[in-house]
Amino acid sequence: MASRTKLSGIQRQALALYRGFLRTARLKSPEERRRIESVVSAEFRENARSVDRRNFVYIEYLMRRGKRQLDQLKNPDITGLSTLEINKASSIPEQRVEHDLGVSTGRQ
Amino acid sequence: MAHCLAAVASFSPSAVRRRLSSQVANVISSRSSVSFRSQKMSFVSISSRPSSLRFKICCSATGETQAKKETVDKVCMIVKKQLAVPDGTPVTAESKFSELGADSLDTVEIVMGLEEEFNITVDETSAQDIATVQDAADLIEKLVTEKTA
Repeated sequence: MASRTKLSGIQRQALALYRGFLRTARLKSPEERRRIESVVSAEFRENARSVDRRNFVYIEYLMRRGKRQLDQLKNPDITGLSTLEINKASSIPEQRVEHDLGVSTGRQ
Repeated sequence: MAHCLAAVASFSPSAVRRRLSSQVANVISSRSSVSFRSQKMSFVSISSRPSSLRFKICCSATGETQAKKETVDKVCMIVKKQLAVPDGTPVTAESKFSELGADSLDTVEIVMGLEEEFNITVDETSAQDIATVQDAADLIEKLVTEKTA
């Protein structure tokens, strides 16, 4: 309960990033918007669950990556966002995030 | 009895208002949400009286910052939808999002949903301070009046 009232700076940044994604998703077509929202929501929830809260280096890396992706998504030429699921079989057990976010452009 | 009630009702608002103004001062000087919360708790405790009287006091105490019932109801509805709260679970103005099972990401989603529904934009800092349905409704009323003004 206390964590709800007092969020750390990095938590606030993460929420701001999430809000930024949801704002940007509104600018896309309704169908794409739903897809973007589900991808982004899944990504945030998965990382919130799996990443240790004290692993600042990794969290900061994820935030930088997220910001870059958000900047790309803000480009009006970008219509959507898709994920590429790379085989999650345990060939590289240490690697946590095995899918990456890609972006697709309107003109092709 | 009626006289007595009226006396209490007419006396309390000023007391409450005084309390409220000190609360506002507190918030501004310390800018800490914790102090706000604890002040608010004391406010709630003084208003827990017979229900009709309690309502009266609440209304007059907070004046224009008190959100309208329609707004609160609409917020409740959106919160229910967003969180997929099971039917039968009461969602009231005092409901905390966290008590309804929302994490911080859900709260962001709720605020975004409200923004769209009421056609407003909530800035970063005030969005972080929303914890209850009442908080959200009050902020919405404020933003809507600011927009129409």
